[in-house]
Amino acid sequence: MTHYDFEVTGSKVARCHIKVDMVNDNFLELIGEIIGPPDTAYDGGKFKLEINIPDTYPFNPPKVKFVTKIWHPNISSVTGAICLDILKDQWAAAMTLRTVLLSLQALLAAAEPDDPQDAVVAKQYKENRKTFTQTARHWTNVYANGPHRECELEKILEQAKNMGFDEHKARVALSSSDWNLERATESLLTS
Amino acid sequence: MSDEMKSQDSDADSDYDQSDHMDDDDDYCGYYDNDTDDLDIDKPKKSDDPEYFDYELLQIEDVERFLNEEVEVLCSSQKILPSLAKMLLHAHDWKKEYVIECHSKNPSKLLIDSKVIPKVKFQQPISGPSLVCCVCLNQVSREMLHDLSCGHMFCGECWDAYCQVQIQQGVTLGISCMAKDCEVMVPEDFLYSVLSKPDLRDRYSQFSFTEYVKSHPALRFCPGPNCPIIVKAKEAKAKKITCNTCKSCFCFKCGIEYHAPTDCDVIKKWLTKCADDSETANYISANTKDCPKCHVCIEKNGGCNHMQCSKCKYDFCWMCLGDWKAHGSEYYECSRYKENPNIANESVHAQAREALKKYLFYFERWENHAKSLKLEEQTLEKITSRIQEKVMNSTGTWIDWQYLLDAAYLLKKCRYTLQYTYPYAYYMEKCARKQLFEYQQAQLEAEVENLSWKVERAEITDRGDLENQMDIAEKRRLTLLKDFLDY
Repeated sequence: MTHYDFEVTGSKVARCHIKVDMVNDNFLELIGEIIGPPDTAYDGGKFKLEINIPDTYPFNPPKVKFVTKIWHPNISSVTGAICLDILKDQWAAAMTLRTVLLSLQALLAAAEPDDPQDAVVAKQYKENRKTFTQTARHWTNVYANGPHRECELEKILEQAKNMGFDEHKARVALSSSDWNLERATESLLTS
Repeated sequence: MSDEMKSQDSDADSDYDQSDHMDDDDDYCGYYDNDTDDLDIDKPKKSDDPEYFDYELLQIEDVERFLNEEVEVLCSSQKILPSLAKMLLHAHDWKKEYVIECHSKNPSKLLIDSKVIPKVKFQQPISGPSLVCCVCLNQVSREMLHDLSCGHMFCGECWDAYCQVQIQQGVTLGISCMAKDCEVMVPEDFLYSVLSKPDLRDRYSQFSFTEYVKSHPALRFCPGPNCPIIVKAKEAKAKKITCNTCKSCFCFKCGIEYHAPTDCDVIKKWLTKCADDSETANYISANTKDCPKCHVCIEKNGGCNHMQCSKCKYDFCWMCLGDWKAHGSEYYECSRYKENPNIANESVHAQAREALKKYLFYFERWENHAKSLKLEEQTLEKITSRIQEKVMNSTGTWIDWQYLLDAAYLLKKCRYTLQYTYPYAYYMEKCARKQLFEYQQAQLEAEVENLSWKVERAEITDRGDLENQMDIAEKRRLTLLKDFLDY
């Protein structure tokens, strides 16, 4: 394990906008970062990842989840858990962390709504794509420092905040109910 | 004394088990067959018994021999190694003839489909005497590198470590090449050549044997806890298997508890549903009810649903609390769920309530028979001790009282089938066939309860009457199975 090179070298990182850092002075706990790919709702966002390397690496996949909150059909909006084949049964020992981060970037550019991690997001993605894109861009802006603001959604959120709801909870409720204030309020009050 | 009792007990047990899958009359079949045919006209033959099934109970060694023979046939007919033959058979559900046919016609297509060889072989660029292993990224000399038929080369140490991790995680036959998107499987002989730990070799052969048995359509492990028995049958049908070692009774097709007349998918759906909804249903299936006439609290301590209040002597049905007289043998209404005819016009809430009501109706009956079955066990114990007592007092011999035990066993068998008619009825579409099913179910239910009542009061019922009742109940059970056990 000690001498496995993770093969994320400087030049490649710069080009692909991916990065890996150690948390403590060992290779078992890492923090990854990917930049949202251009021409997507995640454009320009900085997404932090928690990477845990198992003892059996590279014969078993690393355990990866999003630390930065994200609105995506294959990533849990609550826990950040990722549904990606190469992190499960399609992992191959010859893959590297670089492959993983690039695959995650590719996942942001092309979601797989038929194999969802977050059913609410996946439903919105399939049935109401415009709202989905706006919501994902809004989340990227708020949580991942993305450059694009969604003023329309912010206004609705402001109304919910004025009603006395916690900002994050209100955002989740609104996002989950296609930004229908009435339905969101109802779910906030009943939960 | 107590030892004697035990041995008698187990004798009775094994008698029962035999009669369970070889119909009682089969013992005489051979005798009559030698004679003229007209003697056994109205005897149930093997082909007449809807539950009859031809199977063998094997030990692990027998199964190993059986599998090796299958492999050997393929090896000798196609001139291939056993390691490859095993992969091919496993990949094609052990359809030997099919594999032989494909292999003689187009071997490379078969090998690609079975993930033995790749669609396209990978050409490793070889420059100089050493290469980088893509897993550990070390420079390794050429002879230290190994590849499968796909050509992806990795060093021996990585292959060893990889196989160890896989085996420790319980993966054996599904170990594939370490390269990205490569599906080629690691054959047994390759694995043995790279694996360094002998104890893992044993584990591999043990696990892979389990996998072979699981993938073989003619074999099934007995689901009993730690039971080493493997069942072998010619056809993969949903029929009853009784294990001679651990006495568990299960369905050959799906391996869960035997469930005729309900089929495998439906019983799975039903059991999942029951597990989900158990909280709601729990309070319903409480163990006590009030007497419908004098309202004294009654605890059910026997299997029979024909209750008689000990205080006011009122005869009633435990299930529907109705008068038992109305449960006369002609029309036993209590097992039939009456759907609200106007339900389609009702609101969503009312429909949900109706759906729950319907489910609870069937669940209550299912659960009640399951409980009765447990209580029937106690009846059995009581009967055994009662017989013991009688024999000790010289009122007849053990053999004289044997019919009582037979009756109790038969009651158990009938009640078991009756219990499993409820999931079947629950999932049945409303149609004429359902009406027929419910009619037969009601008939069976009435006779089972009559039998139960008579068994519990065996001393005051005379033997002829009881045996008559046994015959009726079993006939009802067989009629129902014959009509609705369709495979």
